[in-house]
Amino acid sequence: MLKINPIALFDWKAFVIIILILFAGVLTIYSATYTIEGVNTGPLYIKQTGWALIGILFLFAGASIDYQTVSKYAYFLYISSLLLLILVMIIGSRGFGAQRWLSIGGLKFQPSELAKLATALAITRYFSDYPARYGYTVKELLIPGAIIAIPVFLVLKQPDLGTSLIITFVSVVLIYLVRVRSRFLGFSTLLLLMLFPFAWQIFWENLKEYQKTRLLTFINPAADPTGTGYHVIQSKIAIGSGGFWGKGVLESTQSHLNFLPARHTDFVFAVFAEEWGFFGLVVLLSLYLALVSWGLDVALKARDRLGMLMASGIVSMFAFYCIINIGMTLGIVPVVGLPLPFMSYGGTSLITNLFSLGILFNIKKKRYLFS
Amino acid sequence: MGLFNREIFNRSKWRRFNILVIFVIAGFLAVIARLAHLQLFKGEALAMKAERQHQQVIDVEGERGIIYDRAMREIAVNLDMPSLYGTPSSIEDPWKVAKKISHEMDIDSSLLAKRLDNDRHFVWIRRRVPPEDVKKIGDMNLKGIGFIPETRRFYPKKELIGHLLGFTDIDNHGLEGLERHYEKLLRGKKGTILLESDARHRPVLTSTLFDPLKGNNLRLTIDEVIQYIMEKELAAAVDKHHASDGVGIVMNPYTGEILAMAVSPRFNPNTPGNYTSEQWRNRAVTDVYEPGSTFKLVVASGVLEEGLISPNQIVHDGRESMMYGGAVIHDPHPTNQPMTFKEVIAHSSNVGTAKIGITLGKDRLYKYAKTFGFGEKTGIDLPGEVNGIVRNPATWSGRSLITISIGQEIGITPLQLITAASAIANGGWLVKPHIVSEITDSSGNIKGIKPELVRRVISASTSRKMVEIFKEVVGPNGTGKLAAVDGFSTAGKTGTAQKIDPETGKYSRSRFISSFVGFVPAESPEIAILVIVDEPKGIAWGGSVAAPVFKRVAEQTLLYMHVEPTEREQLKIMAEN
Repeated sequence: MLKINPIALFDWKAFVIIILILFAGVLTIYSATYTIEGVNTGPLYIKQTGWALIGILFLFAGASIDYQTVSKYAYFLYISSLLLLILVMIIGSRGFGAQRWLSIGGLKFQPSELAKLATALAITRYFSDYPARYGYTVKELLIPGAIIAIPVFLVLKQPDLGTSLIITFVSVVLIYLVRVRSRFLGFSTLLLLMLFPFAWQIFWENLKEYQKTRLLTFINPAADPTGTGYHVIQSKIAIGSGGFWGKGVLESTQSHLNFLPARHTDFVFAVFAEEWGFFGLVVLLSLYLALVSWGLDVALKARDRLGMLMASGIVSMFAFYCIINIGMTLGIVPVVGLPLPFMSYGGTSLITNLFSLGILFNIKKKRYLFS
Repeated sequence: MGLFNREIFNRSKWRRFNILVIFVIAGFLAVIARLAHLQLFKGEALAMKAERQHQQVIDVEGERGIIYDRAMREIAVNLDMPSLYGTPSSIEDPWKVAKKISHEMDIDSSLLAKRLDNDRHFVWIRRRVPPEDVKKIGDMNLKGIGFIPETRRFYPKKELIGHLLGFTDIDNHGLEGLERHYEKLLRGKKGTILLESDARHRPVLTSTLFDPLKGNNLRLTIDEVIQYIMEKELAAAVDKHHASDGVGIVMNPYTGEILAMAVSPRFNPNTPGNYTSEQWRNRAVTDVYEPGSTFKLVVASGVLEEGLISPNQIVHDGRESMMYGGAVIHDPHPTNQPMTFKEVIAHSSNVGTAKIGITLGKDRLYKYAKTFGFGEKTGIDLPGEVNGIVRNPATWSGRSLITISIGQEIGITPLQLITAASAIANGGWLVKPHIVSEITDSSGNIKGIKPELVRRVISASTSRKMVEIFKEVVGPNGTGKLAAVDGFSTAGKTGTAQKIDPETGKYSRSRFISSFVGFVPAESPEIAILVIVDEPKGIAWGGSVAAPVFKRVAEQTLLYMHVEPTEREQLKIMAEN
């Protein structure tokens, strides 16, 4: 057999891209939180740097553990995350009207972040275990359907609309990729269209008041300029005022004067946009796009069905995060509250995302190894 | 990228996979397109919006200039009176806020709540709030409610000088009187303050872009004391004779400085809303009236200047009436004796004056009327001055020559009359009357207003002759003897004009305008005074109604001005005692 050095197989180019984005994130958080007064949580950018370093360890871990091994623990991870989700409903700490965090020894942990990855891994495992050469039938989709529905429901209950949408989306992508019988596809589309009004009504009635207003404000942000629409309007103003070259680091007035809400978390992109302008954004988006295409490439060239599905799930999750987050910052997507991977402040999301990408590194590495 | 490489594992999936790739790329493209739209095309507008949002440019009014009288007494000042405003967008419960405010000051709670219950950024709640209310509302610390420092014009002398000063509106824009005429000078220059605030409207830093400039201060020629004397005496006369109104002017005949200009009834410029616009009018310059006998100074000066008649020449046989141009004119108190020119004026004989008018002729009468400044604005620094009516001789009727000679069929303003009389007093010069003597800008530079001579009207010798004739008017046999000021030789002319009855269109037998115009001391006059009493009831003669007002005003003013009685007059008084 070929003698292959595992270090040489590690994709350093992709790694550098990730490091660059992480650095931009820390810098922007530093800038965004620069003028926060009276917040005694310690400098957030230092915390974020710490999370990033821990996250990189997780990335290496993901890259070293065989993805097939990871897949073996998929159900275990999935069940654990469900238990954690239930736990968070009982003892979770509330923040901003939602119950999303578990406090473990002073650190806050967001089980929904774990659940989204675990769910993707679980259905990947299922599809991999039970291949259907000519596509899946309705009956065959009942179990993966349940695997998806339980965490979606639990996360929606928190409520965390964004994450439950992510789980649903990633699952839809995976089901699409494993192929369902075309008859079923046609049938379910028809059924979906027929059920849509009822489903929408149930969906709508189960939304919290603020979620409803968010959706309504998405349609017309100016209707409530001081309330929910405020986020979007302010972030649009921030992004727009950046112009081509941006205002420079620490020079973003909209963010520093407290106009921009959630500026170090969900709206970190707007701060970056104001400070770096169109030029900086094109660079940043190129980095993200490069990472996504790299991930797609990994998925397509994976050596087996499991690798391909896992990589597809992870990369589509990653891409969905980027598009939804930036889209909501730009006002083309409703504000659902999703972080921007590697940029937004938040430990759990950073670690989960870096670990997921670590799995991609492993999948890529494995395609050269023939056992 | 190799995404389409068919040789890779699971070829059958490549088409599905590409659709996923297309979706992802389309998502990224949508984001980039939106970014380009926001940052490259709407960038400027959004940047401006950003500026606007956290940089509020607040206009700060420059303080309005102070108005002083000639002795630098403050007659128009500014009071600090902050204005209460609300920012409805940051008020959570307008009804609660409105209730709290209405609890402290007189304001309708539900009306206010409606004003505050919208998404505007700024509404005035109450302009110019008195200090005690400012404190009470300030103490409540209501969110979205604040004060902007403002000043309110205040006239400490109340009614005194009211007609001259005029008043300002709520934004301190001059609407009437001097406030209006000197609006541009009095008005301060707006300053701008840049207020940078954060999202909670907490000021972060303020910087002054332009300092507000204080308006120019005005120093008037008006003397508060003389004005007071005139207003008091005029009001007393209007009151005593149950007259409808009155006008009084005191002027320096050499310089045209107005020392006092009074209109009765008075109005208080602090509360202009309590009066009708009729009552705001400064009738001394805005109203035209038929002067009657005071206007005889024109025809008299004319014939003397032309050398047609000498003062002691017999001009009238003393008959009671005469026919001219198909009209009959009467003398109310015929002497039935031959009268000299001097006596005709002294007794204010209409028939005699008519004859003098005929001697002067149409064109020269018109010329002298115009030369004395009638029919044109004096150019005083007050708003609303009118030309008066002096018709061209071509349009005169047959009897116009004699009726104009005796001061009818002509429209003049009180100010024109005193300016014309001043020309006789000062040796023949028409002066330009004015009210403001000094303008001081915000940095303290003083610009003095120099007296202006308009033109020579009559020669010095004619003026001397006219002074002698006017002294006769005030003499023991003259119509204006009640105007004689003790200790000073006095000169002047009475006037009693019939008013046109609006119902019949003819001269009324019961409605008159009584007036007296004169100056004192006659030979070297310190002051020229005009008194007009409109529609006195009962005795209406200018000599009985207006002349005594002239006397009292002159006496007190001369005393106030420390003008010593002339030596000869003093001796006379001593001799009489």
